Amino acid sequence: MTASEAALAALQPWQQFICNVCGLIYDEAAGDPDSGLPPGTRFADIPDDWACPICGVSKTDFVPFTPPPPRDAHSATHAPKHATRRGVRGTAESSVLIVGAGRAGWQVAEALRKRDATLAITLVSSCNGDVYDKPQLSVAVARGIAVHSLVRESAADAAQRLNLRLLPSTAAVHIDTRTRSLRTSRGPLRWSHLVLAQGAEPALPAALPTSLVWRINDLTSYRALRAALLSRPQHIVLIGAGLVGCELANDLALAGHRITLLDRQSNPLSAHLPAEVGQRLLRAWSDLPIQFVGAVRVSGVERLAGGGLRVNTLGSGYFDADQVIAATGLRTADRLARSAGLAFDAAAGGIQVRAQDGETSVAGIYALGDCAVVDGCASRYIEPIARQAHAIAASITGQSCDVAEAAAETAASVLRVKTSQLPITLTRMGHDAAFGAASGAASGAASEVTSDATSDPAQWHIDRNDDEALHMRSVSASGRLIATLSAGRTQRTRAEMRPAAHDLRAHS
Amino acid sequence: MDMTDLQTAPHPASGAEAEMLGAVRDIANGALRVAAEATDRGIYPRDLLQRLGTAGAFSAHLGPGAEAGDYASAIHAMAAVSRVCGASGFMVWCQQVCGLYLQQSGNAALTGPVLAAHASGERLGGTGMSNPMKTYAGIETMLLRATPVPGGYLVNGTLPWVSHIGSDHYAGVLAAVDEPTGESTREIMFLLRCDAPGVALRPCPSFSAMEGTNTWAIRCTDVFIGGDALMADPARPFIGRIRGAFVLLQTGFGLGVAQGAIDSMWQVEPQLGHVNRYLDDRPDDLQAELDALTARIETLAANPFSAERDHLIDVLDARAHASELALRAAQSALLHAGARGYLISSEVQRRVRESHFVAIVTPAVKHLRKEIARLSTAETPA
Repeated sequence: MTASEAALAALQPWQQFICNVCGLIYDEAAGDPDSGLPPGTRFADIPDDWACPICGVSKTDFVPFTPPPPRDAHSATHAPKHATRRGVRGTAESSVLIVGAGRAGWQVAEALRKRDATLAITLVSSCNGDVYDKPQLSVAVARGIAVHSLVRESAADAAQRLNLRLLPSTAAVHIDTRTRSLRTSRGPLRWSHLVLAQGAEPALPAALPTSLVWRINDLTSYRALRAALLSRPQHIVLIGAGLVGCELANDLALAGHRITLLDRQSNPLSAHLPAEVGQRLLRAWSDLPIQFVGAVRVSGVERLAGGGLRVNTLGSGYFDADQVIAATGLRTADRLARSAGLAFDAAAGGIQVRAQDGETSVAGIYALGDCAVVDGCASRYIEPIARQAHAIAASITGQSCDVAEAAAETAASVLRVKTSQLPITLTRMGHDAAFGAASGAASGAASEVTSDATSDPAQWHIDRNDDEALHMRSVSASGRLIATLSAGRTQRTRAEMRPAAHDLRAHS
Repeated sequence: MDMTDLQTAPHPASGAEAEMLGAVRDIANGALRVAAEATDRGIYPRDLLQRLGTAGAFSAHLGPGAEAGDYASAIHAMAAVSRVCGASGFMVWCQQVCGLYLQQSGNAALTGPVLAAHASGERLGGTGMSNPMKTYAGIETMLLRATPVPGGYLVNGTLPWVSHIGSDHYAGVLAAVDEPTGESTREIMFLLRCDAPGVALRPCPSFSAMEGTNTWAIRCTDVFIGGDALMADPARPFIGRIRGAFVLLQTGFGLGVAQGAIDSMWQVEPQLGHVNRYLDDRPDDLQAELDALTARIETLAANPFSAERDHLIDVLDARAHASELALRAAQSALLHAGARGYLISSEVQRRVRESHFVAIVTPAVKHLRKEIARLSTAETPA
């Protein structure tokens, strides 16, 4: 360094450097006199054998440091007017803790707030908690909904409107029923009533690795998929031709992607509906780039050297693709239920709850939505959630629950398969309790309507089958009408539709 | 409020394990209790630790070959020591976990007489895993660097705050390998002997507690590491395999500190119970919570090498719970004891400082929660 360069360097403002390990700040202005560095020692001039005076690491473990700007005040986001406080010993504070910010979680919060303006409510969500309609995820393209428009209300806005405390991006880990607390990744939370609205997660067969296969069960994963599909039309292998798989295939094909739809069964939708429907759907898809391959058993997915993916099967060769999506059903994680000792129905894949009010086997803990099982039947549909939320809110607030009122809204329940090329409507008769449909078909599995495992087996009859529409009805051996079905653009007349239908899955 | 159960925490162990725990509790309640204050202030209790080793406190978790031993008993032994002296309890963990590294290394040069001398307490050593664990969690960068040379590596760098080491000790540590190409894609794990050429121990500034834990910064200057010292190369799969057991063992430290605090509350109950009943976190409440947590940990200890994601989340959460409970119990014990607990000679305020260490030592509460959140997030295609 020349004398003039040195003189120039001396004019530079003093710099600070921070130790990456312990956070000690070396200030050139102050030096480190204890280690023989007088004030004004430039960092560059510190000898290499100098050690951090706090933790002893070397000079190379320091980086330049700029002090953060001063902060006026800590802005408390999502702070409720009545934060949950640790209760005085022996007094059970009245606070409701809701796990899950999907439709079920938000609906319970709405129902509770409607009944009690001051109740302390905390909502814990593994995602950011934004309010959206999950059924839209498989029809967004057909309905022209942009990805950014799927959010109906931001989580922060909804939390403020309902005056509740929201903990977003928080993992619920363990329920302690003795202390009535929920352990989370943001610390333990106390509750007087706990509502599990945790939903169900994709049940991915072991052959499908999570790092290679998409599962579309929430807005976050859907956004990521759409982003991955943005660049160009792609070839997508979709595994599972159930309700969601068929809707997604239909929608992504409309978006210009080429779809290969695989299923273990010979026809689409055959787990839920008679074979005639699936066959009709395939004909309706003839104008779309959808290839259905039935009776296929997937054995694995691998990444090819070129970057693409290969789906291997048992005896049916392989299918190469740009993206692989699995729509192979849902199951509820049993972690929370297990930790609390809640009765869990492993076969149905959910937490057992009482039909009239959604209470689990442990008093004060409720469950609803995708994670709840009533009478051995899980409900993975939107329609019952509002009724369930009302029943739970009534039970928690100790008010009467007008189940009749809640149930009367839908004397029958309707399931719509929103495949735009062939809309399908399944109408099932009868509702009794808030959480289920005790008479005839249970509200959950549509397969119940074709089941012959009951003492009064049902059978499908064709009422109409022409170019316009397919109309069918399911009638029990004793002659009781269990369900009606129509597929095609020509829907049944109002009289035929008896009773009036409500859209189960899309609240749009 | 039964004072008789103070000394006899129930544990289902039988036979040799029960005998070991009995011997450990005898040492803890005798000489270790006398030495606790000095250990807190900076005297390393070498003789006591070796007596604990002779009693079997360092070998319970080590099964034959690479098999898991009785992790619950190892945790109970650590808890029994921590109940009396947190610093000593922490060093039991250091010694136990270093034994775990040696056992799992599969290196015959380490699993033979070296492991045997370690398991018995004849030789002592610790662990310098704080920095690597935090590096893997994306919080820090690797401080030790290894350069390949014929027959091994040359290691350079400074590792701060390594506990339970000394001139005739050693520690299991990691270094990032710097390839001649300039790339660094893997780490090695090895036994760093403190008396090896090029190793210098530098004193650390005083901590608020735990001063007798022989905690130093290790500076390495061209330290040669040969095959006889290698524990894992590459280190990541090894760390992935032992991580659950590493964290699970550590719970004994928090359980013991919490139990010691509860003991202190009961001790003042006859005189101060009439006013202490106005406090939160009463000893019976805390004891019930501690017992439930202990039972949860015993269940996890039956399968310490499980690679299940749910198991790991439970282990991390149990460790976090032990920290939170130790903090609450120590704080409450101070409120229960009042001024007598605030005396500089009182174990009650010492335990407050120990509980702080339980909560900040790697993995700290914040690290545990961050990792639980990460593990709980579903993986999606890139």
